[in-house]
Amino acid sequence: MGLALVGLAGIYVRALMFTPIERTQGPAQKIFYVHAPVAWAALLAFSVCGLLSLLYLMMRDRKFDLMAAASAEVGTALAVVMLTTGPLWGKPVWGTWWTWDARLTSTLFTFLLFVGYLVLRNALTDFEVRARFSAVLGVMALVLVPFIHVTVYWFRTLHPDPVVLKPDAPSLPSVMLVTLLSSFAVCTVLYIGLVMQRYALAVMQDVREEEAAGGIS
Amino acid sequence: MASSSLFGTALAVARKDLKVEWRTKTAFISSLVFAVLVLAVLYFARDKTSVGDYDLAPGALWVTFTFAGMLGLNRAFLLERENHALDGLRLTPISPTALFLGKVAGNLVFLGVVELVSLPLFILFYDVPIWRQLPTLMVVVALATIGYVAVGTLLSAMVVRTRFSEVMLPVLLLPFLVPPIVSAVQLTWRILALRPLSEMTGWLSLLAAFDIIFFTLSLLLFEAILIE
Amino acid sequence: MASSEPAVRVHEVSRRFGYRWVVRNVSMDIASGEAVMLVGGNGAGKTTLLRVMAGLLKAHKGRIDYRGMVGMVAHHTMMYDALTARENLVFFGRLHGLRDDGRADRLLERLGLGHVSGERIATFSRGMLQRLAIARALLHEPDVLLLDEPLTGLDDAASQIVLAVIAELKARGAALLIATHQLIELASVTARVGYMVSGRLAALEPLPGPDAGAIVSRYRDLVASGV
Repeated sequence: MGLALVGLAGIYVRALMFTPIERTQGPAQKIFYVHAPVAWAALLAFSVCGLLSLLYLMMRDRKFDLMAAASAEVGTALAVVMLTTGPLWGKPVWGTWWTWDARLTSTLFTFLLFVGYLVLRNALTDFEVRARFSAVLGVMALVLVPFIHVTVYWFRTLHPDPVVLKPDAPSLPSVMLVTLLSSFAVCTVLYIGLVMQRYALAVMQDVREEEAAGGIS
Repeated sequence: MASSSLFGTALAVARKDLKVEWRTKTAFISSLVFAVLVLAVLYFARDKTSVGDYDLAPGALWVTFTFAGMLGLNRAFLLERENHALDGLRLTPISPTALFLGKVAGNLVFLGVVELVSLPLFILFYDVPIWRQLPTLMVVVALATIGYVAVGTLLSAMVVRTRFSEVMLPVLLLPFLVPPIVSAVQLTWRILALRPLSEMTGWLSLLAAFDIIFFTLSLLLFEAILIE
Repeated sequence: MASSEPAVRVHEVSRRFGYRWVVRNVSMDIASGEAVMLVGGNGAGKTTLLRVMAGLLKAHKGRIDYRGMVGMVAHHTMMYDALTARENLVFFGRLHGLRDDGRADRLLERLGLGHVSGERIATFSRGMLQRLAIARALLHEPDVLLLDEPLTGLDDAASQIVLAVIAELKARGAALLIATHQLIELASVTARVGYMVSGRLAALEPLPGPDAGAIVSRYRDLVASGV
């Protein structure tokens, strides 16, 4: 966790001070070093949540439920960062805060899906029911995300739009590439660190509740 | 359990649901009135000089079906919650599969009737004389409704256990409706524009794939909802 | 009908809701043809124990062995208001794999509901619903019947019908477990009584006497002895 935070600071410094300004996009391009890796980490978080949900349904081990929840929470937080940095970058570069671009749209729906997941968890009090129901939703969501992506992707390509579309990733100069790649690594470590922290907290809460409730005898 | 008795039991559950619905009629009439209202309100929710009837119609139709269906789905498991009737079901040897199939069948009939009644109204209101394309449109309606109802039945069985089930169902269900409803709108648009079938196969296969995968998935996951 | 093998054997069953254990390490045997009374304050775990025994709730620890089928009468009717008494019974009979062969009508007649079999149960009184719930539980002729407060809210006439049915079932060889607060009425049909104190079965022993007072004071002793 500490490593991730130091890494994050390092990435900021490197991105702001030592990476050259991109010619066409200007300084705004630097937000990209945060945006893309965070997006990657959020997607990773949601996939992990779905897989852990599946594991829970197969093994019925409460650990998997708590981990899935931690991953969904961290993923939702990362998605908020992604969804705010996106428009900040899009305004100067695309000329608009928001565009119904395929990737953006499916990200938005995925984000809302996992907000729903957290809302459902919050509405159920018995931990066993909560674990089972949210695992069912998590598995459904895992299967749904590719469907949503195909849907919005087809929707875009079949209805071309005058708005400037995101250009295909241009080959970056190596300085920028190094910054970007190290940022990806840092965000992944950050995600893992956050999930571990959140999971450890959930386990501690669990142990405390268990003690407060007393055992069988 | 033998397969004949599986479907027999599912049929008994569906018939029971529809009988209860027929006796009370509240949810059905509400859904229908709601559908007519949405169709009418959406007609006026535009600038008529820039958005023509044909442009507005597909979206209006599917927004109407989506929200009218939501009312019906909520009802399906609220019915089992009253007097704890679901416990009564679980005391019998009924399999989760039979219960799921019965519930889905009941919901399909419910939503199907709402759709059948609102389709002619839609054609009249939006002045889209597509009587000849009606069979094609009904195939699309049927495909989209099956996926919708399968996922909706599973999720409604979960949300009735929460405190604010009426609010919770749309929040959880709407993301799942993105693929079927967007496909259905795209297909409806092409049907209204008298496009050839070859332009529809992509969306049709997406719709069919969604139905098969999510019907199976919902069926498999339903048991995990039922045990306590 | 009595046999050495009990009709139901509950073996160290525990169940929790959330983190709280509601039923703790309960073991009991009930023989065929025997009726056991289950007493305890509100929240002592009687209802949860019955629901676990009926299979409505999973036992988180322990297990339950049955000989034959189990039926249950709960606080709620577990039926549909919009259907008639007869339709409800036929529907649940169908789910038990039974044909509509007049069994529903015979049960309605036996429980004194023959004259209202064609009426929607939304209009029924508490006593009628309770008797209908018993009819539903008897559809598949269970060998073990679990009754959760079967006499609550019933007037004297209805209570007499229910007690007669319980005696009849006992004579036929069914095992019964009856959670109740109506001690006097049920003392006439039960031989043993189980005392539940905060989730545990504190004692399971022969009735201390035919009057309610003896059961109540024994229960108070168990509570006071502190578990």
